Amino acid sequence: MMNHRRFILHLNVADFAVAVERVVDLGLRDKPVIVAPLQAARAAVYDMSEEAYRDGVRKGMLLTRATRICRAARVLPPRFDLYRKAMASFVDEARGYSPVLEHGAEDGHLYLDITGTHRLFGTPPDVGWRLHRQIRCKLEIDPIWSLAGSKLVSKIGSRLVKPVGEYIVADGEEQRFLAPLPLHLLPGLSNGERQRLSQFNIVRIGELAALSRMQLEGVFGRRGETLFELSRGIDENAVRPEEERPPRVVREHIFSDDCADRTVLKGVVGALAAQLGMELRATRMQARRVGLQLDYTDGTTVSRQASVRKGVADDDSLLRLAMTALERSLTRRTRVRSCRLIGDRLHGRSPQLKLFTDPATGRKKEQLLTAMDRIRQRFGREAIRMGSQPVLH
Amino acid sequence: MENECTPGPATALIRGQQAGSSCLVMTGTSGYSYLEWVDSGFYPPGTRSAAMLEFYGRFFSVVELNYTWYQMARSDVLTRMLAAAPAHIIFAAKLTRTVTHEREEDWREQVQRYRQGISTLGKRLAAILVQLPPDFDRTVSNRRFLAELLDYLQGMPVAVEFRHASWAVDTVFGELERRQVTLVSVDEPDLPGLFPRLDVVTNPALFYVRFHGRNRKGWKNGNMQKKFDYDYPEQELHQWCEHELGPLSSRASRGIIFFNNHVRAQAPRNALLLNSLIGKKAARS
Repeated sequence: MMNHRRFILHLNVADFAVAVERVVDLGLRDKPVIVAPLQAARAAVYDMSEEAYRDGVRKGMLLTRATRICRAARVLPPRFDLYRKAMASFVDEARGYSPVLEHGAEDGHLYLDITGTHRLFGTPPDVGWRLHRQIRCKLEIDPIWSLAGSKLVSKIGSRLVKPVGEYIVADGEEQRFLAPLPLHLLPGLSNGERQRLSQFNIVRIGELAALSRMQLEGVFGRRGETLFELSRGIDENAVRPEEERPPRVVREHIFSDDCADRTVLKGVVGALAAQLGMELRATRMQARRVGLQLDYTDGTTVSRQASVRKGVADDDSLLRLAMTALERSLTRRTRVRSCRLIGDRLHGRSPQLKLFTDPATGRKKEQLLTAMDRIRQRFGREAIRMGSQPVLH
Repeated sequence: MENECTPGPATALIRGQQAGSSCLVMTGTSGYSYLEWVDSGFYPPGTRSAAMLEFYGRFFSVVELNYTWYQMARSDVLTRMLAAAPAHIIFAAKLTRTVTHEREEDWREQVQRYRQGISTLGKRLAAILVQLPPDFDRTVSNRRFLAELLDYLQGMPVAVEFRHASWAVDTVFGELERRQVTLVSVDEPDLPGLFPRLDVVTNPALFYVRFHGRNRKGWKNGNMQKKFDYDYPEQELHQWCEHELGPLSSRASRGIIFFNNHVRAQAPRNALLLNSLIGKKAARS
């Protein structure tokens, strides 16, 4: 009989942006550091060091308030490119131990499935320790590492020892490990659910686990099943390597000067939609959803989507979806630093022609797009564009 | 610290030459939670980590905790382990790596935290194993560090494993004896620079032996799977029983012996074999 136990390592560099800044400037070590955009009128804290956290500074807090609370803090502007590069190096170190790896963009989080590697690399705790040591030596950052049988439990282990340390939860002791812990350590619970549970005087994970499926479904409906499993540490979610994640097409624009002009924003998003369309058509794919992520100058990020039942790849349809997503995103008057347009829920383009559209108009439009795509492929993305679209630099 | 538990499996009482003197010898393994021990047939198929110690206890009465080297000894973790451990098992626990191998500036506070955590084991703690890295040689600064570390661990049962040959001198043994700290005897490949195989006893309350395997080829390899891949033939264990066990057991009231050659479950097999040889020797004594 084969053993199907999993070993999931979770590595987390606490305060990733600060950790990277401290590698670049050794003078920042052991001093309170806040990372926040400096020029924005109502800038919010993007990241802070443990020292600043202990003084009361939190992510998303207004910078003016944060600097009042922690007067000794060095305030640095965020350098996202630097964080991305550091994240890539972090991921590269881990890749040597397993190809099954899942990570965020620039957040210092990484899951590694090391199941079945013990004959190559030794026992799972030894892999955790060696990888940690390797990252410390090569990158000079000190990640938390925790080892468990699932992503859920390993993440909770990391939360327990933050900002530094390690935690190992043996396979089969998940429930005993979780029982005494406070509910706020359980990932995936919404604030509303926590409040509802506190009305029942349920404040620990073990108290939640004591409830039956039926009791939980009675209060939380379909979410009851999820809460039942979460509270018992049951998590069958696989570590999903990048290549196994649903495909998507992403186009991004960073404004040289932060922008609050809606007309300009619409133009930029339109241009990104055209780029998205070109990419989709080149790969003979269609998207059923277009998402827009706006990074505001104060450090806040807003994401909204618009979707359709049948996939689209033509500029007009993508533009309509992108504009809907933009309308939904523009809830604030703050200036925008960058915007990212994401086409996902992709599927292959059907070769079948539409039955109830005017074939002449449809074909003309398609021919026009094909001709424009050819020109762009040959002479560059900005060689030809619709009159309403601005040039993106 | 005396163990009040009744001797269980893989233990043997060796009578000494003097009337009334005896030594309780217990064999076990370095670590017990190895997935490959399921594949190798020591644990039944499908055994989960949390259930391994219970099964291990059917064969052994002592275990060396490895994971306290990887992670700081914490009361919550050890309480969970004790809840699943058979009552007769006693423990030796490695001191955490951030004190011995990757010493950090705050190592003194870490020793305090370790003491607090490991005290959860109470009277079932047979020894704290201070394993020193191979490059930890006998320099003035290292001697000072070790003396200070032993001061911080005062009052706890401590065993020290040197891996550098420079510590094999009488003055070191004398100081360990004065502090009632156990010198760990090691069985490892006969390679230059390694701490030699000795039968020195520095603490009459406890002798402590670690069998690492004699894999000369794999020793210098960074991969633990190669380093500790060794199956002791019966003849070698028999020789050890005949030549090494006597001097050790005659000078201590208790002895614990661990096998670290965990690859392919060689450690529990060899530990059981050695125990049967010790049992025969005890019967003769």
